[in-house]
Parts: sequence; C-alpha cells; structure tokens
Amino acid sequence: MITEEAGLTGPAHGELRVTPLVEEGAQVAHGAPVACLRHAPEICLTAPMAATVGAIRLGPGRRMGEIVFFRESGGGRHEHALDGALSEASLRRLMQGAGLWPLLQRRPFGNMPAPGERPAAIFVMGSDTRPFAPDPEVALNGSERVFGEGLDALCHLTDGPVIVCHSRAELPLGTKRAHEQVKTLRCGPRHPQGLAGMRIHSAFPAELDAPVWDIHAEDVAAIGALLETGLVPETRLIHVAGSALRESRFVRTQPGADLRGLTYGEVLPGPHMLMTGSPLDGREAHWLGTRDRQVTVMPRGPRRRGRHWFIEALTGSAMPRPIIPTSALTHAFGGGLPAAPLARALAAGDDETAMKLGALSLLEEDVALADYVLGGHGTLAGALRRMLDRTETEFAA
Amino acid sequence: MTKGLWDRETVALMLLAAYMPLALTWLWFGGTDALARLLLALVVSGIWHLVFMLARAQPPSLAGAIAALGVAMLAPEDLGLLRMVLGVSFGAVMGELVFGGWGRNVVNPATVTLSFLGFGFPAFPWPGFVEPVAWAAIPAALIGLAFGVMPAGVILGAVLVGVTASLAGLLPAVLVPAAGIVLVLLVACPVASAATELARWLNGAFYGALMVIFAISWDGAAPVQMAVSAALLASLAAPLFDEIAIGLWLARRRRPHGRS
Repeated sequence: MITEEAGLTGPAHGELRVTPLVEEGAQVAHGAPVACLRHAPEICLTAPMAATVGAIRLGPGRRMGEIVFFRESGGGRHEHALDGALSEASLRRLMQGAGLWPLLQRRPFGNMPAPGERPAAIFVMGSDTRPFAPDPEVALNGSERVFGEGLDALCHLTDGPVIVCHSRAELPLGTKRAHEQVKTLRCGPRHPQGLAGMRIHSAFPAELDAPVWDIHAEDVAAIGALLETGLVPETRLIHVAGSALRESRFVRTQPGADLRGLTYGEVLPGPHMLMTGSPLDGREAHWLGTRDRQVTVMPRGPRRRGRHWFIEALTGSAMPRPIIPTSALTHAFGGGLPAAPLARALAAGDDETAMKLGALSLLEEDVALADYVLGGHGTLAGALRRMLDRTETEFAA
Repeated sequence: MTKGLWDRETVALMLLAAYMPLALTWLWFGGTDALARLLLALVVSGIWHLVFMLARAQPPSLAGAIAALGVAMLAPEDLGLLRMVLGVSFGAVMGELVFGGWGRNVVNPATVTLSFLGFGFPAFPWPGFVEPVAWAAIPAALIGLAFGVMPAGVILGAVLVGVTASLAGLLPAVLVPAAGIVLVLLVACPVASAATELARWLNGAFYGALMVIFAISWDGAAPVQMAVSAALLASLAAPLFDEIAIGLWLARRRRPHGRS
C-alpha cells in the first residue's frame, strides 16, 4: 500500500542541515536524491516514491523541516550506478547516495554516523520486542538471499563483529553464513530484551571512541538489494496498531508514508492521535519516521480539566519523582544492569556514574519502558537525552 | 503516552498492603493499648508530613504510615506521650523529610526513631511479641516479595544466614521472632536497603550476621534492641554493598569485552 502523500522529516532530536537538490514542483523518480546534508554533501536523502515535490520546508539555518511528495504514477525508479567490485569506498558511496545512510543509527548519541566513520561493531536487529512491533523475520520473508548479501556488505564497513540479534532459533543468514565476522546473538522474547540498546549494552558497549551502529534487518536486505540491482526497495513492512483502530494490520508501505493515509477509514470515532513509533517511545507525527516501522493510533483522552492550583503546585514541585527500586524497575531494564543506580544517576544528572554504568549504549527508546513503569512522566528519557547532549558537546570540544 | 503504575505511592500502598497481616495480628493481640500507640505515631507523623507539604511543597506519602507502624510495634514500652512524640518527630523529620521525602532518604525513618528512643531512653523496656505476631511476618514478607516491592535478596540473604546460624546453634530461638519482624518491617525497605542484586544479598546476610554477633556477645540486651541495632547498622552499610556490587559488575563486564 503506497499512500498518496509522503514526507521526509529530520530526526526526532538533534538537527539535520540540508541543501535541497530539487525545486518545489519538480518531478522525481523513486530513489532519486532530493536533498543532501550541508556538511556532508555525499549523504543524500532520496524520494520515497515517484512523485512531484510538493513542498520543501526548511527551518532557520537550513534545518530540515519536511519535504512533502505527491505521488505520480509512472514516474519510474532511479537506478544508482554500481561501479564494479565491492569495496568499502564504493559501498559507502552507494549507500550514502541511495539514501540508505540515515537508516544507520550510531551509539553513543543516537545520530546518523559521519560519512567516514568506522564503527567498532554493527548490530543487525533481527528482533524487535516493542509493543505492536512487526516481526523483522516476517519482513525478511522472501529476501533471505539479499539479506545475506547485505550482511556481507556490512562486514566491509567495520573491523569488528557484525552481530545479528534474533529471537528465533532459525534465522535466514543467507548463503554465506560461514562468514567469520558475522556472529549471532539470541535475545529473549519479552520487551526490553529485543531492543538494540539492551543488546549493545550487554554484548558490546558503545564508548566515546568506539561507536557501535545498529540497523534493522530489513534495511540490511535493502542494502543487499541495492547492491544487486542498483534499485532501492520501494516498501518496508510496518504495523499499524493501537487502541483507537478498528483492527490492526500489517502493510508494506513506502518510507515516510502519510500516517493519515495509512489509517484512513480504520480509526474509531472520537479524537485520536497518530504516532510514529511504538506506544512507549512514539511521537506524534504526520509522516512515518526515517527508521520507524510502527504506527500507533491512540485515543486522545478527554481534555483534562484544570486541577486545583495547590495539587498542581505539589505535583510540579515533586519533579523529578523519587525512584523506588522495585522488581518492576529491574525488569524494565531487562535485569542485566544495575537498574536503580542507573536510573538514579540519570535523574540526578550524575553523568559520570551514568556513563560508567553504560548509559552511552542507551537511547531514549531503551529507557522508555522504565519511564512507563515508573508512572509515565518521560523524565528518564529526557534526562538521558540531556546527559547525552552534554557529553556530546564536551566530547566535541 | 499511557502510564504505568509503579510510582512512589503505588509502592507505598503495596508495602502497606503487605504489612496488613502483621499489623492486624499485632493489633488483635495488643488491644487498645497497641491501637493508641499506632494512632499517636500516625498523627505525629502525619502532622510532620503536612508541615513539610505546606512549608517545602513536598507531597505527603503513605510511607509515613509504614514508618508509624514500625515505630508503634517496636518502640520501647511506657515511654509516655512526650518522649514518643519527640522520637517520632525526630525520625520523620531527620530520617526522611529533610532529604526530600520517601524515596530520597538514606535510612528508614522508623529505624531512626527507634535508635533515637533506644539510645536516648535506655531505661525503658523493649517490647516482646506473642508467637502469632511473629508468624504473621511470614505472609507479610511473601506478599511483599510477590508484588516485588520488598527486595528479595535482602530477605533471602538474612533468612539464609539465620537458618544456618540456628542450625549451628549460634542464634538462640528467643531472638528469632524479633529478628524476623524487624527484618520485614525495617530491613526489607526498598529505599533504605541496597539497590543492586548482589548488594541486597550481602545486605541481608550482613543483618543476619550482626544478629548472630549480638546474640553471642551482647549480654543483657532485649531481642528487639539487638534487631533494631542490627537494622540500623545494616542500612548504614547498604551504600557500601552497592559500591562493591557495582565494582564487581564493572570488573566482570570489562573482562569479556577486553576494552578500556
């Protein structure tokens, strides 16, 4: 299912400065570059479908706002030039030119990796345990071979291991499963166990000078397909779910799909909110996020009546709430790390302790469950983001 | 975003529910005298929570009732109104409220009160417990463990050491009821005990070991007095155990990665 409109947006946090390569109203083929990064012009953003560029909205300093596309049938697909033998340089050039680079996430800090960076390890997430998340192994159905090609290609990008996380016994590792660098890692079926952050934290912690990348298994198959045909796959598997829907459904749709188009006619009457991402860490949005594979539709509760000023003052002054170490908190972090000291260090702004306990391997999505368990105030995710931002500024200086 | 339920007040409520078997059995056998002590402790503790709400905008917590229950059950007998009010006030204010309320305190406020009363007024006799009250500590611990609000490691560590010592004849049977009740009421507090898994076991075992040491070498002390002293020392040592546990965890973590 391809929606009539689609939009490219920047990341949820941080900024992306871009230079548009097309004009508003221009016709673009699917996969054609439409913008490139201002400080790394080799990294391109590409059109998610054959379309007319409807609007390009940039913020001050050419910060990416959104680029909106209207579908045009018969616009064709942009073929990326494959230059002979596979080498690291050609692979980087290809991935960056074909718009696959933003699908990589780098830890620490959770941004897109720099064009020339070599990670200490790459985690391929063949498991996703977030609520309502589609099973990556279903997404890989039928593309096992290109997934193997993609894995082989990823091995060129790092000297360290390429670790495939999966939750089932059998995994389609493609034809070349004997590759030395590729390792597999079983992870449990319950929620935080299948998150990239938890797996990286326990198996290969990211450090300031040893970044670790993670990428979704379906995107690895996209790399494989790109290497084979020069074309970027048109769709990805996403799950549209949530309690404000008549029924949840799996659809294959384009990146940056229009959330209203995906849920049209399926939403129950009444106010609702459309989120890209899971119910735990999703954010309200208009377009599907760059790396997201879920759309969550939740009812919007009745507008809360203003509470008494005294209650409001009391609850406001108690922030951040004290953290009581219970089993619930331990399980919210998967049980493998000292949950209460980490949560306390984050809430208190003790960056050094938090880094010692491995907070550099984590991102907001990894503490979202703990935030939910502790009463849903979003304080831990916010504290982690501030801690990462402070560390990033210091490290860059 | 939806909302989970394990915030501070839910944990306090769950703890209170876990203590119900113990409290009700104690009230049943203690009669009006026990009820009067409990009400006094609740009122004084409640007033201080109210004062800190108005003066410092700290939301009052149900944990005040838990501390009041601990004080009412374990405080020395025949103290009189003034000393009791003084003790509960000291514990509630200096043990909990000045740190910002329950969840930010270092030692259980009831432990502070009891130590204050025990050291300040040593002439008053410590209470004893009839057998059913001591048995009621077991369901209390089980409920707390089932809901995950009491640290399992602390209770299991203490029980492990206690059982071993009893089998070796080091822990007299007279001490066991008081030790068990104090374990459930004071030591197994999720806030004041250690916060990491290994440290919790160490913390519980340390409490058990202190009981054994006191049983052997502290002549003339009442069972509750020994148990409260052991609880105070155990909760003061909790940060040390946390530090040890985190140090070990970091060392073990560094080895397989072979980096840094």
